[in-house]
Amino acid sequence: MTTRSKFRLPLRRFALLGGITIAAVFAGPSSAHKDPVTPAQLRAYQEVFMEQVRKGDLLFHGDQKMAEQLGVAEDLSKTGMACAMCHPMASDTHPQSFPKFQAQMAKFATLRDMINWCIEKPNQGVKIDPESEAMKALEAYITWSNTGSVLQPGKF
Amino acid sequence: MSDELDRIRREMHSVLQPEGVRPDDSLKITRRTFIHGSLIFGAATVGQTFAWWPLLNTLDIAHAAEAPFKFAWISDTHLYPRSLNTRFVDKVVRAAQEVQAMDPPADFLIFGGDLAQLGKIEELELGVDLLKEVKIPKHYIPGEHDWYLDMGKKWGELFGRPNWTFDHKGVRFIGLDTVSRGPDYWTAKNMTPEERMGHMATLDGTVAGPWAGVGRDQLDWMEKTLADWDKTKPVIIFSHNPLYEYYPPWNFWVRDWREVHEVLKPYSKVTNIHGHVHQVLYNEIGTLRSIGMLATSWPWPYAPEGVPKLTKPMIRVDPGDPFDGVGWEKIDVAATDEIKTEYIMWGRKEVFVQSAEDYDKNVSEIIRPRMADNMWPY
Ligand SMILES: [Fe+2]
Ligand SMILES: [Fe+2]
Repeated sequence: MTTRSKFRLPLRRFALLGGITIAAVFAGPSSAHKDPVTPAQLRAYQEVFMEQVRKGDLLFHGDQKMAEQLGVAEDLSKTGMACAMCHPMASDTHPQSFPKFQAQMAKFATLRDMINWCIEKPNQGVKIDPESEAMKALEAYITWSNTGSVLQPGKF
Repeated sequence: MSDELDRIRREMHSVLQPEGVRPDDSLKITRRTFIHGSLIFGAATVGQTFAWWPLLNTLDIAHAAEAPFKFAWISDTHLYPRSLNTRFVDKVVRAAQEVQAMDPPADFLIFGGDLAQLGKIEELELGVDLLKEVKIPKHYIPGEHDWYLDMGKKWGELFGRPNWTFDHKGVRFIGLDTVSRGPDYWTAKNMTPEERMGHMATLDGTVAGPWAGVGRDQLDWMEKTLADWDKTKPVIIFSHNPLYEYYPPWNFWVRDWREVHEVLKPYSKVTNIHGHVHQVLYNEIGTLRSIGMLATSWPWPYAPEGVPKLTKPMIRVDPGDPFDGVGWEKIDVAATDEIKTEYIMWGRKEVFVQSAEDYDKNVSEIIRPRMADNMWPY
């Protein structure tokens, strides 16, 4: 699981978002005329999403550098196990079935609860902040990888 | 099923499944369950249509093994250094003790590959050490996790040739190396040995490509090895990867399965026992039947498509129990040539699914390959 990463997307992305923010300020909230979404905006939004998917993909596959960058290197696993070792292509993560009663925890749980359970039990790691960037990135990757799966909330 | 997979499946069937040709019916997979129960079950729950698939075995048994005997199989231990992961160590210890305790004893043990997790000397040596508990003869074939750090150097020092053959009580056994002939994905990208191993060790990685194969040289060797063998006498082939196409993105196949079956076609009683998939699998192609074995380390989920129709799936496991969904196998070769495989899945009375909810595909899913391992700087 030694995969490396470099950062080049974020710079471009922030430049673009900066541009968008400025444009919005010029138009002003007092203006009653909102503009239709532009291809540049859509691209920027998509880039933000895919950047999180990329980070989540790396975390999910045990990339140490990304875990360090997001401050969870000591937490995600202490056994050498990475998420993808039981969930290749994020299979069997079933984000489409949450929230649901999760038997292992004996409680009504969200996908984030389940991610933390996996970190604690099979990986013998330490729970991460459910609001952290690392958690959101994992969620982004898992749901992206299951694109096309049909929502089946509550399904065992 | 994707169009591409569907096309290959149909091709596989038309090439290898001529009218009336089937494997003989001398195989049973137990934890006391006869394999054919899977047919009805599979149709009801998996919900895929394999209308062209043969549904019954009809060949008669012509020759028999000379005497009944047993052997054992352990594979996919994926050992890390002892200090990092003690659970994987505990499970190898348990499997080794149980094999050694077999009464009557097994004639030999096959180790089916992926002894180490990242191919390290320390990991491979730990495996050798733990398996010293087993005193019967041991035969090893390599897995991809054993190989791609030093390209099989340490493995070769420990275990010798990766492919081999021997005869035992009227059965010809062949061990194949299906891992060492991966296309070179590392040189052009200037990868370190650790990076090369890392990509290989990621089942759903997109960089290592279709690495599983037998290779022309080994096919020729197998053809020669079988040339003097009566075509109706039993042959058992061990390989790390399955010798048919199940799910190429995870290398649940060998890329030259067509050529493999060309070589094996004349022989009427061929059984392939394989690791790598970490799951219960059963398939028949032409006169060849294939049985997939459990890992001791962790179970893989069934692939999103391509699970052979003849497979009765294993039960959905509890991820909170490191001993669930994993284990080892006893293989019984009877004087009638019956081959019984018993899955020793720790902590489970029922190895196979008992209801739709017991199947890991109960929640239907559509998944896609990862992307981050193929972005710059790769
Ligand atoms: Fe394996
Ligand atoms: Fe493997």
